[in-house]
Amino acid sequence: MNEHQMTSDARMNRVPHGSDTLHWYSRLMVLIVSLTAAVPFYLLILLAFKHPEGGLQSISIIPDFHLANLTEAWVKSDLGRALVNTTIMTAGGILLLVLLASMAGYSIARVRSRLNRTIFALLLICMMIPGIINTVPLYTLLIRLRGINTYWSMICVMAANALPFSVFLYASFIRAIPRSLEESAIMDGCSFFEAFWKITFPLMGPVTASVVILQGLGMWNNYAQAVFFLQDRAHRNIPLAVSLFFQQYGANWPLMAAAALIGLVPAVTMFLLFQRYFVEGITAGAIKG
Amino acid sequence: MHISTTSWHRYMALPAFALFSLFFLLPLIQGAGLSLTHWDGFSTPEFAGLDNFREFFRDERALGDVKTTVLFALGSAPLLNLAGLSLALLLNRSFSGRNTTRALLYMPAVISPMIMGSIWYLLLQPRRGLLALLFEQSGITLEGNWMLSGPSALTVLVLVNVWQYAGMTMIIYLAGLQSIPAELYEASAVEGATGVQTFRYIVIPELLPALKINVITNIIGSLSVFDVIIALTGGGPGYDTESLSIYIMRMCYGNKTGYSTAVALMLFVIILIPVIISLRFFDSMEDAA
Repeated sequence: MNEHQMTSDARMNRVPHGSDTLHWYSRLMVLIVSLTAAVPFYLLILLAFKHPEGGLQSISIIPDFHLANLTEAWVKSDLGRALVNTTIMTAGGILLLVLLASMAGYSIARVRSRLNRTIFALLLICMMIPGIINTVPLYTLLIRLRGINTYWSMICVMAANALPFSVFLYASFIRAIPRSLEESAIMDGCSFFEAFWKITFPLMGPVTASVVILQGLGMWNNYAQAVFFLQDRAHRNIPLAVSLFFQQYGANWPLMAAAALIGLVPAVTMFLLFQRYFVEGITAGAIKG
Repeated sequence: MHISTTSWHRYMALPAFALFSLFFLLPLIQGAGLSLTHWDGFSTPEFAGLDNFREFFRDERALGDVKTTVLFALGSAPLLNLAGLSLALLLNRSFSGRNTTRALLYMPAVISPMIMGSIWYLLLQPRRGLLALLFEQSGITLEGNWMLSGPSALTVLVLVNVWQYAGMTMIIYLAGLQSIPAELYEASAVEGATGVQTFRYIVIPELLPALKINVITNIIGSLSVFDVIIALTGGGPGYDTESLSIYIMRMCYGNKTGYSTAVALMLFVIILIPVIISLRFFDSMEDAA
């Protein structure tokens, strides 16, 4: 141990770790930003549970717990249907995305052929292109393919939009896994595909969690594509259903608030249940980038 | 080592590429072709050369939308990064309630921007909005109507967007901050560096990857803004807060499909320029570090 490190150690022992306590002004800041984040949600609850008696003028800062708004909004907005639709399209989109992106990421990470390098370069360039740029030609294409108002078209479009970033994540993750694991499996008589499926794929848990959370959230909340491709009541997703409900019941505020509240509950519940994975998923996605 | 097993792992990127070609690249190329035509979306497209692009530069509504889109991004992207970094620095210490605060700040980002925008509509409506009502109850009548002027409506949109996504930006900065090894802080303390010097010479260089991902995603996201504007102002007053991506949708439905693909290409250019400039900037920063 040299002199420099010794002084450093001595200092660290003497000086108490200052980060365990917050100054009062930092605590105040934490309180202010927490309130800024929480108050809109509280106000939404006030509105959604408002008893019709006395009108909106009589609203107080203690909720009424009048549940009829929620049931009425649920029935009139057809949000149950939208919930089923959104679940089908998100699950389908994620399944397709994980399957294709993990395979592509594996091949790109392990085989440096001209084909793979070309595909990867194209995907990287397209990572910078938001979906709205090609939505109009896609719309005309889907009319010809009879894809308007179908689940499969939204599933394919959302998976395709999410592919560049997901392949990029998988490729950089797999590059960090030692080849020797697969090579020994291949020596034992596995094919490359078996080596991928039995050895590498099970190791991809963290990156798959990251893809499922980041892209699943985007698919769940999709509006910019849904507004083009899902036009009938039977196929609309949650953001569409809420926005159309707002246009229809634009005068009844407690009812609108109730619909918005129902609309955000699934995503927020998933977030609260799997909070740790959300934070890890976003972090992994960002650090690899 | 020679391995004589099947080698179709070489082509495992092809399924992903096929999906991407059909639902992303093909429409992109088609869009470029359609931008050179007069087309209402139904009849046969008529070749028009660069007419649509000439029209774009004479189209006051389109140019106004460019201005709106760029101003929205100039407000949103820097504010988001500033807020996200400040929040990350505030939360980069251990204190009780830290995880709850982090979850609360991140929660708005998991909700569909369409639904979140609708909620803010209920809260912020001049006179009828819940905030106006609550102020009225406590004897304060809010004068003025932010929805009647373009600049104030755009300011509200920027603030709502920053409110929703500051937590997301924070999470990525927080991950960057926590990947800084403790020894670096210790070393700078030993050298007698001030807080500002530590921030300038230790924190900023180590935060470059997080900064890069946040700046790039915020530029792309804010220049293609769509949902929150539809929910909150519908592009009004007049077309004062209409973004280019909303204009693309409206032109497509307004029987100017050919023109709308030309506008989409212009938006593509408007996004690409700042993205390439910032990528160059970050590359040179990384070389210097």
